[in-house]
Amino acid sequence: MASVAARYNELQDLGVEVLSCSVDSQFTHKIWQEVELSKMVDGGVPFPMMADTGGKIGSLYGVYDEEGGVNIRGRFLIDPDGVIQAMEVLTPPVGRNFAELVRQVQAFQHVRKTGEPTPAGWQPGKKTLKPGPELVGKVWETWKIGD
Amino acid sequence: MSVKVGQKAPDFEANAYIDGGFKKVKLSDYKDKWVVICFYPGDFTFV
Repeated sequence: MASVAARYNELQDLGVEVLSCSVDSQFTHKIWQEVELSKMVDGGVPFPMMADTGGKIGSLYGVYDEEGGVNIRGRFLIDPDGVIQAMEVLTPPVGRNFAELVRQVQAFQHVRKTGEPTPAGWQPGKKTLKPGPELVGKVWETWKIGD
Repeated sequence: MSVKVGQKAPDFEANAYIDGGFKKVKLSDYKDKWVVICFYPGDFTFV
C-alpha cells in the first residue's frame, strides 16, 4: 500500500483514482494509517481504504480466499466505461510492481485514444502496430523485440 | 464467481477511511474515470 501511496501523484497525473481493499474495518485502516503508513509515506495513504467486511467485494472479483478469510493480492484496472481492462493476481508473499501498473495505464490510455495496439513492453513514445491485412506475417519487418 | 477482462467491473459499496474520516465509496461514483482497485491480505502485513 505504501508503495502505491508514495507514487500516487504519478497516477493522479494520468487521471487515475485508486481504491484499496482489505477485509479490515475502516477503523483498523485508520489506526494503520496513523501508527505506520503515515511514517512510511509523507501524509500517509491519500486514497480511500475500503473495508471489505466478509470479503464481499473480494468474492465479486474472485480474489477472496475463504480458507484464510482474506483477499489475496489482486489489482484491477477499470476504464472510464467501467470495463476491466487489466487484472493481476498474486499470492500474498510477493508484492506488486508499481512501474508496471503505470506502464499498463499509459498503454491502455494510448489504445483508447488512438485505437493503435501496443506491442510487448511498450512505453510512451515507442512504436505501435497498425493491424490490417498488410501486417499479417510482416510484424517482423516493422517491429523488433526491444523496440 | 469471477470477473474477466473486457467485461464490466461489478459495482460495490463499502465503508472507507480517507483523509482522517469515514465515508461510503461506490464504484459507480467513479464513472468516467480510470480506477485501480488494489486488494491486499491485510493491514499491518509486510509486503
